[in-house]
Amino acid sequence: MSLSNGKIRTSYYIKTIDSIDDEMTDFLFSLGCYSGQKVTIISKLASNLIISIKDARYSIDEELAQAILV
Amino acid sequence: MRIALTGNPNSGKTTLFNAITGKIEHVGNWPGVTIEKKESKVKQSLNKNKEDLIVVDLPGAYSMSPYTKEESITRDFVEEEHPDVIINIVDSTNLSRSVFFTSQLLELGIPVVIALNKSDLTQKRKIKIDNEMLGQLLKCPVVSTVSTAASNNGLSDLILEVIRVGKSGERQGLPQIGIGKLKNRKADAKRYEFVNEIAERVEKRIIDSAKQTRQDKADRIIAHKWLGIPIFIMAIWLVFSISQAWLGPWLAGIMGGWIDAFYNFIAGLLGPEVHPVVSNLLLDGIIGGVGAVLGFLPLIMLLFFCLALLEDCGYMARVAVVMDRYFKKVGLSGRSIIPMVISTGCAIPGIMACRTIKDERQRRTTAMLTPFMPCGAKLPIIALFAGLFFGDNGWVGTSMYFMGIIVIFLGALIIRKMNGDKSKTHFIMELPEYRIPSFKRASLSMLNRAKSFIVKAGTIILVCNAIVQLLQTFNWQLLVVADSAPQTSILASMATPLAVLFIPLGFGIWQFSAAAVTGFIAKENVIGTLAVCFAITNFIDVEELVLISGAAGEVSAVFGIGAVAALSYLVFNLFTPPCFAAIGAMRSEMESRKWFWGAIGFQLGMGYTLSFLVYQIGTVITTGALGGGFVGGLVAVVLMVGVVSYLMIRGSRKTAANPVKQLG
Repeated sequence: MSLSNGKIRTSYYIKTIDSIDDEMTDFLFSLGCYSGQKVTIISKLASNLIISIKDARYSIDEELAQAILV
Repeated sequence: MRIALTGNPNSGKTTLFNAITGKIEHVGNWPGVTIEKKESKVKQSLNKNKEDLIVVDLPGAYSMSPYTKEESITRDFVEEEHPDVIINIVDSTNLSRSVFFTSQLLELGIPVVIALNKSDLTQKRKIKIDNEMLGQLLKCPVVSTVSTAASNNGLSDLILEVIRVGKSGERQGLPQIGIGKLKNRKADAKRYEFVNEIAERVEKRIIDSAKQTRQDKADRIIAHKWLGIPIFIMAIWLVFSISQAWLGPWLAGIMGGWIDAFYNFIAGLLGPEVHPVVSNLLLDGIIGGVGAVLGFLPLIMLLFFCLALLEDCGYMARVAVVMDRYFKKVGLSGRSIIPMVISTGCAIPGIMACRTIKDERQRRTTAMLTPFMPCGAKLPIIALFAGLFFGDNGWVGTSMYFMGIIVIFLGALIIRKMNGDKSKTHFIMELPEYRIPSFKRASLSMLNRAKSFIVKAGTIILVCNAIVQLLQTFNWQLLVVADSAPQTSILASMATPLAVLFIPLGFGIWQFSAAAVTGFIAKENVIGTLAVCFAITNFIDVEELVLISGAAGEVSAVFGIGAVAALSYLVFNLFTPPCFAAIGAMRSEMESRKWFWGAIGFQLGMGYTLSFLVYQIGTVITTGALGGGFVGGLVAVVLMVGVVSYLMIRGSRKTAANPVKQLG
């Protein structure tokens, strides 16, 4: 399933990044967001998801959350 | 010896840069505050042997493969300009991500020294990092630093280490990453494996960073779907109220008194013997004009102090999250809020900050629209009219701020329709932790702004005011204009034809059009020129009076316009093209002639249309009749709206012809 369907306060392991844009995939990679890595949903705000990857918090939008398959 | 500062966004590079050079560059806790490289010498107290040490502050990057334009500055610099030593600033609370970039830097063959920054925070978070082991594994020196602390901050150790490494000339050993012949993503995956292993061995965490914290709870309220916007409005209202209505006018009153005393002092020195042309030039042109602008200094300083506090505490990244939802509807993203926030200080760095936006159309659109935010130079105009006509209400500034955002919103919508581009973009932004804002940093930022404001007032504004004074003193025969016929001056005869255009906007008076034109040189000139043109020797008096007591009647009688026209004039000055310097910045960021001229036309049209609407609708509401020049103005506005609508329709046809493409 995609990360956007995930539950808050839950950790998932990333299966794959289904982004159409290669550069975005590379960028996510440099943040440590790639297959096999852990991502935790902290909260859902407005239409954005707050996630924790490695030791940082990020805000990502719905489209990006849909591209992250867990 | 050239030393490059590199590291992830928000790892504290610029703070460290300021700490080791003694400079006061703008610091912020979101990516994109530093967008250009900055160079300076290491300050003497850290460089006892007086070595030739130049430090280069670079924009933050997460890796050597740049994602946005400003990240590529960093890569290009370290790859092409071969600094002698790289200081890699690693956020010690986020080792597991930062070392990814470190490992890439180590492979460049340039000596690297790691500054394990924010090491004061690790204790608080119960994180233990084994510096020695980290140094052994990466084969480079590691120094713990706290660049926000005044002493015991590790900075002198850092510099000593840098000098040692830079002089030794030995090549640093490469860490064993084991990439071998792997390429691209596979190589990166291997690299991350290495990074993860290092983090595991070097770092001991007691608290899982993915656990919910009080900060996350705060985020739920501050960046809430519905509460987010009211909270943002309240925060900005508070900023404007403190600086423009509560504390600011009181300070401005004191300062106005000083300027007044200075004016009288000079007037006394000159005495009655000095030729009136000379004394007028000196008193009304220079002291009066510059003084009128400088009188707003306390308001501006307070505003920047408050805004710096707001930025420093980590709030602005949350604003980007809140606004993303709305900006997405018009084809921008939450990232566009950053240039806008910066533009509240000055549009030039704001426009330059557009580089952090990946998508070209979004970047150009933001560069075109971000000057609509009320910048520091437009602030005196707002403050003057708020003081004169609206009793110094904090709401005037606040509403101009949000009107700026709304106009940007509308503008983006129109541009997207014209452009016919329906591409979608992804939004990702790191959320820095909240922290107690530093009064020291806010004061430095305030003093920095104050300095540039004073310098500008003392140079360009002074010259402009003197020229305006001369142009209105003489007529075309170079004779002194009679007091009874000010409309015969060179200035009046140049500005009068232009003033005709402004009749439908309510301020078809030559003084106002002259001020609007000098405003393109620098927006502060609007106030200076008005002060000079209306030859109100007691302009500062009046201003002081009004700033304190709100006695508007007298001044508005002198100006010859009412509150509605004043508001329209305010709107016109805020939403027309910015000053020439900002226009220049716009041109270089847009990298397209078509976009650039389109932007100028769009801004002019936007300013004209908005003030037309404000004046005419306002006049109907207040007097029940239409304002002067309605028909002429309507024709102009309808023409402009027509052109824009035509372009929008053409744009949407283009979209219909092309399938929707999706961009990252």
